[in-house]
Amino acid sequence: MSTDNPPRFIHYLGAFAAGGLISLMLLTNGTLAQYGTLLFSSWVPHLTGTVLAIFVLLTLRPARAMPKRPPLWAYLGGVSGGLTVIATSAAMNSALALSGTIALGLAGQIVFSLFADAKGLFGLPQRMPGWRDVTGLALIAAGALILIFFGSAP
Amino acid sequence: MIVFVILAGGAGLLVGLSRQLNGRLALSTNAWESSFWNHIVGLAFVSLIALLAGDLFGGAPLGAPWWAFLGGPIGVLFIAAGSWAINRIGAAPTAMLIIAGQMISGVLIDMAMGIQGQLWARTLGVALILGGMWVTRAAKVKA
Repeated sequence: MSTDNPPRFIHYLGAFAAGGLISLMLLTNGTLAQYGTLLFSSWVPHLTGTVLAIFVLLTLRPARAMPKRPPLWAYLGGVSGGLTVIATSAAMNSALALSGTIALGLAGQIVFSLFADAKGLFGLPQRMPGWRDVTGLALIAAGALILIFFGSAP
Repeated sequence: MIVFVILAGGAGLLVGLSRQLNGRLALSTNAWESSFWNHIVGLAFVSLIALLAGDLFGGAPLGAPWWAFLGGPIGVLFIAAGSWAINRIGAAPTAMLIIAGQMISGVLIDMAMGIQGQLWARTLGVALILGGMWVTRAAKVKA
């Protein structure tokens, strides 16, 4: 599978740029949460996002990769995303605070992604993480922890 | 306390799970359709929670500035990009590059908004992240 799509610089750049979009979303959704409830700050972006996604599908009409429909469980990414909001908001209001919640969230994400790659989870391309992946992850995690805990002085 | 540690770590697992599922959907369809289903299924789920828990429109939500309502379109692009990248470079590189992008853009936004911060921490943090990206990328480019 991975030989069909050899990794290119543009793929790395795309993922990096996507990370920048999270910062923008933290700004928009965080501002919503200051005026309305936490549920509202998750409900609105899901609603406006659905509207835009319909517009994109109708305008671009992107082709399907396979004629065969994927299994039903593949449609549940949105449920997992919704649960994330609930788990995060509960943790944020504990002694962990925002920084501790983000740090543990990054750890969970890293552990999951290494496991998912090693297993080729849910039929995605399998790739055994090598020493470069682990070193890179360790460096990025270290940098992230320093920024989270010392980056902005109170 | 241990409950909250599990919740916070679990939230990270759920982020990874969501990206993996959306990536699987994109394998059969395409990144845009995967992003559409993520949003409409998520909308149904959050609406259901709101029906059960109530208080969706509490506070003064319409007092928020107009741009605060634009998180959705940004999210559509974000989910599409993740579904596109994960099938091409793998889950771990996708996760680490998204984290790197989030952290570095966060520093830039903080600085643009004039939020005070410790210069040594920002410099060291960004340097470590750039180093990590360099180490990771060097692995796949030779192929």
